[in-house]
Amino acid sequence: MQNMIELQAISHHFDTASERIELFHGLSCTIRAGETLAIVGPSGAGKSSLLSIAAGLEVPSGGTVRFIIDGAEVDALTMRANSGFIFQQFHLMPELDAIGNLALPLRLKGNRDAFDIAARWLDKVGLRDRARHRPHQLSGGEQQRIAVARAFVTAPRFIFADEPTGNLDIHTSDSVAGLMFDCARETGCGLVIVTHSEALAARADTSLLLAAGKLELAE
Amino acid sequence: MNRWRLILEGSWRSLGESDGRISLATQAALLFFLLTLSLTSASIQRYLADNLDQMLGSDLVVESHSPLTAAEETALRSQAQRVSVTQLSDITLTHGDKWARVKLKLVDDAYPLQGNLQIGDTPVATQRAVSAGPRTGEIWLDSRLATQLQVRVGDVLALGGTQLRLGAILFHEPDRIMEGHSTTMRAMAHAESLGSAALGGTKVRTRYLAAADASQQQAIEAWAGKTLPGASVIRKDGGEHPLASFWKRTENFLGLASVILFFMGAVALDMTNRRWLAKMRYRLAIYASFGTRTRTGMLMALGEWLIGFLVAALLAALLAALAHALIVAQMQVQFPGLQAAWHWQPAARTVGLVFLLLLALQVPSLIQLSRASLLSLIRNPAESSHVWQRLVWSFAAVALLAAAYSDNWLLTGMTLAAIASALALMIALTWSLIRLGDLWGRRRAGLLPFAFFMMRRRLLAKSAQVLGLGLCGLLLLFSLMLMRDLGATMEGYGRSHDGNLMISEAKAEQIEGIRRWAGETGSTVRALRPFVPAQLVAVNGQPLFDGSRQPSDTLATMRDPIRLSWTNELPLSNSLTGGRWWPDATEDWQQISAESEVMTDLGLNYGDRLTYQINGKPYEFRLVASHAYKPGNGSITFWFQVPQSARAQFDAGTLYMGSMELPAPAWDGLAALWQQYPTLSLVPLKELTERFDRTLDIVTRLTGGYAAMILLLALFVLAASVSGFSADDRQKNGLLMSMGLRNSDCLRLNFYEWGATALIAACGAVAGTWIAGALIYQAQFRLTYNPDPLWVAGVVVAMVAAVCLVGYLACRRSLKVSVRDLLTT
Ligand SMILES: Nc1ncnc2c1ncn2[C@@H]1O[C@H](COP(=O)(O)OP(=O)(O)O)[C@@H](O)[C@H]1O
Ligand SMILES: [Mg+2]
Repeated sequence: MQNMIELQAISHHFDTASERIELFHGLSCTIRAGETLAIVGPSGAGKSSLLSIAAGLEVPSGGTVRFIIDGAEVDALTMRANSGFIFQQFHLMPELDAIGNLALPLRLKGNRDAFDIAARWLDKVGLRDRARHRPHQLSGGEQQRIAVARAFVTAPRFIFADEPTGNLDIHTSDSVAGLMFDCARETGCGLVIVTHSEALAARADTSLLLAAGKLELAE
Repeated sequence: MNRWRLILEGSWRSLGESDGRISLATQAALLFFLLTLSLTSASIQRYLADNLDQMLGSDLVVESHSPLTAAEETALRSQAQRVSVTQLSDITLTHGDKWARVKLKLVDDAYPLQGNLQIGDTPVATQRAVSAGPRTGEIWLDSRLATQLQVRVGDVLALGGTQLRLGAILFHEPDRIMEGHSTTMRAMAHAESLGSAALGGTKVRTRYLAAADASQQQAIEAWAGKTLPGASVIRKDGGEHPLASFWKRTENFLGLASVILFFMGAVALDMTNRRWLAKMRYRLAIYASFGTRTRTGMLMALGEWLIGFLVAALLAALLAALAHALIVAQMQVQFPGLQAAWHWQPAARTVGLVFLLLLALQVPSLIQLSRASLLSLIRNPAESSHVWQRLVWSFAAVALLAAAYSDNWLLTGMTLAAIASALALMIALTWSLIRLGDLWGRRRAGLLPFAFFMMRRRLLAKSAQVLGLGLCGLLLLFSLMLMRDLGATMEGYGRSHDGNLMISEAKAEQIEGIRRWAGETGSTVRALRPFVPAQLVAVNGQPLFDGSRQPSDTLATMRDPIRLSWTNELPLSNSLTGGRWWPDATEDWQQISAESEVMTDLGLNYGDRLTYQINGKPYEFRLVASHAYKPGNGSITFWFQVPQSARAQFDAGTLYMGSMELPAPAWDGLAALWQQYPTLSLVPLKELTERFDRTLDIVTRLTGGYAAMILLLALFVLAASVSGFSADDRQKNGLLMSMGLRNSDCLRLNFYEWGATALIAACGAVAGTWIAGALIYQAQFRLTYNPDPLWVAGVVVAMVAAVCLVGYLACRRSLKVSVRDLLTT
């Protein structure tokens, strides 16, 4: 495979004033572009931390992380330039309207056709008539659809989603999840989702359970 | 291309937000004020420099209040290439029933040594240049004077028995600079036209214009310093313009003003900066989530900020150009011929400095921005606001730049010391009050203990707010106080007069004439005091102008002879402020009493030996007492007074000053009196008050504009403070109300908070003002500092009330929206 993330014997902990919080120890796994991976587990197990380590946002306290893009090993910065994120709180820019938010990543990359591409994506997520609306005028589901489209619009190699449906009701979750997986398969990028929704995890190619510091295949 | 568009869009959007607008307005206001200041200052300096180059009429001028002796004049002529002698005196010119006070210049054949005179045939005629003054029997008048007297070229004027023909209208003299910023009307005649008797002996200034090369100039200056103690020397090379010292004092005040404005602006900007930082951090984290590097994000943030600055600078430059033109138009009264021009260099320097200041203020934010992380979107990391680093950094940066700008280190140092101590006090007060309050309220129920608890939780944010408001209050209070006191000092010059005509100078035989004339016209002579012109040349044997004394108005006045009066008892218009007045009819004539302000200004002590030059001879007195003007008993007071017995020692004619009361019909007869005594100096009070009002008007306008500027910036600080903390307040209020607190309780709680904030800030402000006053008043403005406690208390109450009111309004607005707000976010 040309694009992948290799986690080898990863361990992580936080030191607070009074104690040391041990999250996990000796975890290994490989994430490949073109596959979808779900990480489930109880709250506080360290899912978000694992995601941050895999995305190169955080350096683990032990073990090695290797990022391989187009067959060559790269550093975390390059890795980040090739990834996208979807958050539980959506995090759209409040001062930009829907299409502005969608076009933003493209414009930052210097793409001349930013607004045309953004309009196509808006069509795709079914929000063409809301193009001029600002985030506070949109429902949670609508905001998250735009956030999903925004993550995919620059065609990254990997997408990391932390509890993307955590703030949505079941019905809306379903449609957002559908959108995410469709887009991921269509563009052939790697999708890593942290969630505690069984339904969402079930859609992924692989589903791992993080609990008590261990990472296991979930059935 | 796209990124540039993004940057532009971002800056445009930020103008729509209140923070962005406050920030832009603050920057623009700061730039506007400083630009106006430096442009005006540059115009005046350019004017002074040009003047010195073109308007001295020679290479060097020696000015003396008594003519040089024949030996001294020979010595001067031997050291210079050429010399021209001019004499100046104040006289009254009459024509028919019109009269005017005039400064008459008598010139010789050599005049002028350099440059040309500009004359014409009518006040509106085209000017022509001539290279010599009027011929014998001719007089030239300036155009205003000719208009006022309604004379034409060819008319004959009478001057103390001499008939002079008006030869030309005088527009310009090459030695005009020596007149300083006087706007007295001028006349010029040849010295041989008048007999020496016509001018009497009084108040004739003699000027020796000399052509000399640099080494000769130096030699003459050294010679004059040794042999002519009362004379002043003005050189073209490296000399100091007579007006420069006047302007220097004004600049001192304006320099302090800009330092204060720098700080005010910094406080307002720092408050908006907090919000800007939070916004930018969020934005950068989002940018990072789709793969934009932090560096790119930071460059864009910087770009946006830069555009904001450029817009502010453009706006400010336009306004400043306008204001500059207006101010220059106003100041042409004081500086005839002053031109409004755009000075690139000082303007660029100012914009550059403000840019550096703003950039320096931005540095802590930028450093924090560079640490912005995508992680903050996944988890909410602890917000560390770095209050201390910000405070120390901002203070240092602003202090350095302010010092660089004002180039008066002492003044800046004093201001900074006052501000630093006020800050320290406020920090201590905030911490101790909130901590003690929290400790006190720990085992108590109620809103007040809860308010303390909340404040303790938000101690850092609270301190920032208190410091900002306190600093703003301090600067506001101090500037207002300083302006009030300077204004009062000015006002003090316009002492109440009795009578409607001042006899500002009359000789003994003229007094006889005046009495006769008063009897004929039904006027009364109210007060009359004798004096001789005396020039203070040395204190304790040291020359007065050896550079060891602080420059002051008083010292500047001492360049001319002052009036020395004699009396046995303390006059009714004076009160004794120190020392011991001499006993009645004392024979020990070498005692002197000085006005107390003069004493402080010159740094004199009791027991000092003062040497005066009177009519060319030195006399020494011992300083034994000080007196002060006491209103209500006439307007005449003297700076120096000696015992009656001293009069017999002086080899000089007695002069008088006094006041008269004229009934309305007597005014028309004045011309006759003047015709008889052209050197008699009578000043109708109307003219005096007008002249004074004109000066006061300029000062009032200047300080008024400055006060408006300070208030405007204070408003920005308040707005920034409320807007900057309103998000916090909204969240807090929402939480409290969701916990079941009533609306009115919430209001009360906020009221406690704002009240405590304002009170601490006000304490800091008052303490800082006191320190600043004690430090700066005496050293920089020669004013004594005694604050009016009622006034200070009033300002404190007003400040607390204003802050509480604004806080209350903001809180009521936030209460309306906060619960719904909580639901939507
Ligand atoms: N910066 C930090 N300092 C100390 N403890 C932390 C920090 N970040 C996270 N934790 C702790 O690490 C544990 C795992 O956090 P997280 O990875 O967010 O778990 P999850 O996403 O599975 O809920 C939690 O118990 C949390 O309290
Ligand atoms: Mg989590």
